[in-house]
Amino acid sequence: MAELAADLARDYADREPLLVGSLKASLVFITDLSRALPISHMLDFVELAGYGSAQMGGHEQIRVLKDLDADIRGRDVVIVEDVVDTGLTLNYLVRAFSLREPRSVAAVTLLDRPYRRLVDDLPVRYVGFVVPDELFVGYGFDLDEGWRHLPDLHVLKEF
Amino acid sequence: MGLDIPVFRAYQGSEPPRFASPAELECAKVLDYYGVPWQYEPRTFVLEQDENGRVTEAFAPDFYLPEQDLYIELTVMKQSLVTRKNRKLRKLRERYPDVRIKLFYKRDIERLARHFRLDLAS
Repeated sequence: MAELAADLARDYADREPLLVGSLKASLVFITDLSRALPISHMLDFVELAGYGSAQMGGHEQIRVLKDLDADIRGRDVVIVEDVVDTGLTLNYLVRAFSLREPRSVAAVTLLDRPYRRLVDDLPVRYVGFVVPDELFVGYGFDLDEGWRHLPDLHVLKEF
Repeated sequence: MGLDIPVFRAYQGSEPPRFASPAELECAKVLDYYGVPWQYEPRTFVLEQDENGRVTEAFAPDFYLPEQDLYIELTVMKQSLVTRKNRKLRKLRERYPDVRIKLFYKRDIERLARHFRLDLAS
């Protein structure tokens, strides 16, 4: 966490970046990251309906459950992800934010699975850990909304 | 197969796609949901020809993502049965080194299905 925060502080000194947490799983990570970040910054959140839940509700296009509160025009936006996997969600966010004319858009992720990427050319500038193809719970990661509260990250055995 | 094909928004093709498996349909629905333009089996790569120039072996990857310039091949076969497909993929990479392709194995698809809560029941 300290290393990620130091990298962000170096790159965004005097720029007051807007850290955007992608709910829900990144909640714990963005909280810790914000507390470790020694430069002035602001926080905002966005939530997209995941594919599975949207399908159950009959929606065939992505839905924004919670949009940004802040106007990001001319701002430096740093999207905070729990994990970047296929890159589909992050790709959507980057494209959607770019239409609002921010000064820059980058992403920081706690976990990364680059070998599962379907969408390349994503601005994933800061990566905590490249992880194997395991299921994680705790530290904000869930299984059917459970286990998010666990303070540490755990590998879930096959079930 | 009787798959229930929805109206796709990000699909790029003149003919309705005819998917070979529920996994392909679900993959298409995920790409469409996230607004990633996709094509279905748009190109067949020649892998082998006989002395008369007739094609004896070819390979048509399932999906092409034009914005990513990436082909995707899904295989729902058991890992032990994918040797032939791996060999085709190796040939494709040898003969078309500039073509970017990713093969998703059964276990990868199962992981994605769990991640996206897909219905892969056949």
